Amino acid sequence: MGNNNSKKYLNPYLGGVLLGLVLLAAFYISGRGLGASGAVKSMVVTGIETIAPAHAEGTEYYQNYDKSHPGGPLHNWLVWEMLGVLVGGFISGAVSGRLKWKVEHSPKITSKTRLIFALIGGILFGFGSQMGRGCTSGSALSGMAVMSLGGFITMAFIFGTGFAFAYFARKLWI
Amino acid sequence: MGPLVVNEIISANTNLFLAFLIGIGFGFVLEASGFSSSRTLAGMFYGYDTTVLKVFFTGAIVAMLGLLFFSLFGWIDLDLVYINPTFLWSAIVGGAIMGLGFILGGFCPGTAFCAFSIGKLDALMFIGGLIIGIVIFTEGFPLWKDLFYAENMGTPTMGEFFGISRGVFALLLILAAFGMFWVGEWAEKKYPRDEY
Amino acid sequence: MKNMRIKLAMVLIPLGLIIAAVPENTTKPYKLTASQMLQEIKEGTQFFTPDQVADMIVQKDPTLQLIDVRGKDEYEKYHLPGAVNIPLSDILSPDNEDMLNQDIKMNVFYSNGSTKSNEAWMLLRQLGYENNYVLQGGLNYWAETIMNPQKPPSTSPDDEIAKYDFRKGASAALGGGVLQTSSSTKTSGPKPPIKKRKKKKRAAGGC
Repeated sequence: MGNNNSKKYLNPYLGGVLLGLVLLAAFYISGRGLGASGAVKSMVVTGIETIAPAHAEGTEYYQNYDKSHPGGPLHNWLVWEMLGVLVGGFISGAVSGRLKWKVEHSPKITSKTRLIFALIGGILFGFGSQMGRGCTSGSALSGMAVMSLGGFITMAFIFGTGFAFAYFARKLWI
Repeated sequence: MGPLVVNEIISANTNLFLAFLIGIGFGFVLEASGFSSSRTLAGMFYGYDTTVLKVFFTGAIVAMLGLLFFSLFGWIDLDLVYINPTFLWSAIVGGAIMGLGFILGGFCPGTAFCAFSIGKLDALMFIGGLIIGIVIFTEGFPLWKDLFYAENMGTPTMGEFFGISRGVFALLLILAAFGMFWVGEWAEKKYPRDEY
Repeated sequence: MKNMRIKLAMVLIPLGLIIAAVPENTTKPYKLTASQMLQEIKEGTQFFTPDQVADMIVQKDPTLQLIDVRGKDEYEKYHLPGAVNIPLSDILSPDNEDMLNQDIKMNVFYSNGSTKSNEAWMLLRQLGYENNYVLQGGLNYWAETIMNPQKPPSTSPDDEIAKYDFRKGASAALGGGVLQTSSSTKTSGPKPPIKKRKKKKRAAGGC
C-alpha cells in the first residue's frame, strides 16, 4: 500500500459493502446471486449451435442446456448482467482515468509470457467453473451469501489451491 | 415481497433489464475497488495486497446479513432464493482447478470482464481462455459426467450442515471474516510491495 | 484503512449478534388479500354437497381425500370412510403441508357442522393453497341427507325421487344396508377441476 495508485481505488471495505448491496439487490430482485462464467457459457453454447448445428443437436449436453435455459443469450440473466459489468467497469475506469489498452504484468516477465499464462489461466478457470457449477462470483460469492455448503467448499478450494501454488507462480506476479 | 421476479411483481423482461443495471453496479464496484488489475488480485496470494480478501468477504457478509434481515422483516422469502446445490466432488475438483487458473491467469471470470472493459488485453486473453475451457468442458462432458454428478448432497446450507441456526453461523462467519481482515492487514505491512 | 475496518466491525458484529439472537422468521405470508377472500366466500365455491361427496365415495373417486378436522377422539368414534384426521389446531403444522398444499387430490374438510371445516379452508385459502373444499353442513347434514334420507312424497318431481334413490343407495353402500342403487344416477353437479398449483419455483441461478 502507500503508492499513489491505491489512493484512487475505493477503500476495500467500502467497496465490499457496495458489492454486498449489489449482491443483495440481485437476490431481492431476481432471487439469485451474481455470476460471470454462465454468461460466457450461454454464448459458447449458442456459438456452437450456430457453427455446428448438427453436432449440437446430437450432443445431449447442449440439448439439456437449451431446455434449462430457454430463449438463448438474449433471455439469459447473466448475459445481461455481464453486459452491465462491461459498462459499469468502463464508467468507473473513465471516471478514474484508468482507460488504457495495456498488458499488465510483473516487470520480471514479458507481455507475451503474461498473455500466455492469462490464456492458460482462462482455460483452467473456464473448465473449473463448469465443473464447480459456478465461478468465484456465481458459486463462491453468491454461495457464501446464501450460506450454501457447496459455495463454501468451492471458495475454500479456489483460494486454497491459489495459495498452494502461489509459490510456484511467484515470478508471474512479484 | 421479494424476490420480485419470482413473486411476479416484475416481469421477466424487466428482470433482464434490472440484471443489466445490477451488472453496471457490479462492474463499477469491481473496477473501483481495483479488481481490474490482475496484480491486485494475485496480490492476495502473496500477502502484498489483500484487497480481494476484504472486498470479497465484506461483500459476502453484507449480502448475507441483508438477506437474513430481509427475511426477518418478511421482505424476502428465502425459500424462493436460489441456493447453490452441493455436489461434493465437483465442488472440490472445480474449485481446485479454478484456484490454479486464478494463480496463473490472475483473474476470475467476473474480474476479467471488468478488466477488459478498461482495456486490459491480458483480460481479453483470459476471456478467450474461458471460452476454450468451457468448450472443452461441454464437448468432453461424457468424460466427466460421473464426477460432475457425484455425491449430490442437495442444497444444504452451512447452518443445516453443522446443525446450528443460520443466525449463529452468520455471526461466526462475520467474526471469522474480521479475523481474516486483521491478518490481511498485518500481511500487507509485512510484505509490502510498493512498486507494482 | 484500519479505521474503516473497526467502523465496519462496529456495525456488522452487532448486527450479527442480533441475527444470531432472534429466531428465524417462519411466518407464512398471506397470499390472498381480504377482498379476494371475501369474493371467494361470497361465491361459496368451496362447498361440496353431501350428495357430491357421497357420489365420489361410492364411485371410489381416487381424487377424493376426506379430511376430518375434528378432534382425535371424535374422529376415532366415527369418521367417514377413507377420511384422515387433521384436527383444526394442527392445520398449520408443517407435517401436514404436503397433504394440504398439493395439486393431485381434492381435499374435502368436514366437521360436525361446517364451522370448523370452513375455518380450516379459509386459513389455507389465505395461504394460497388450492384444491381444498368443505363438506356443506358437515356430518350433521350428512346424517340427515345421506344416512337417513327422507322419502319425498310420491308427487315430487322425478329428480327429487332420483335423488332419494341415490341417497338411499349411498346410505346402503356406506352404511352396510342392502338396497341396490343405479349408480349412474347423476345427482352430483359437475366436479370442480383440480387446479394445478402454480408452484413458485426457486429462482434459477448459478453460473
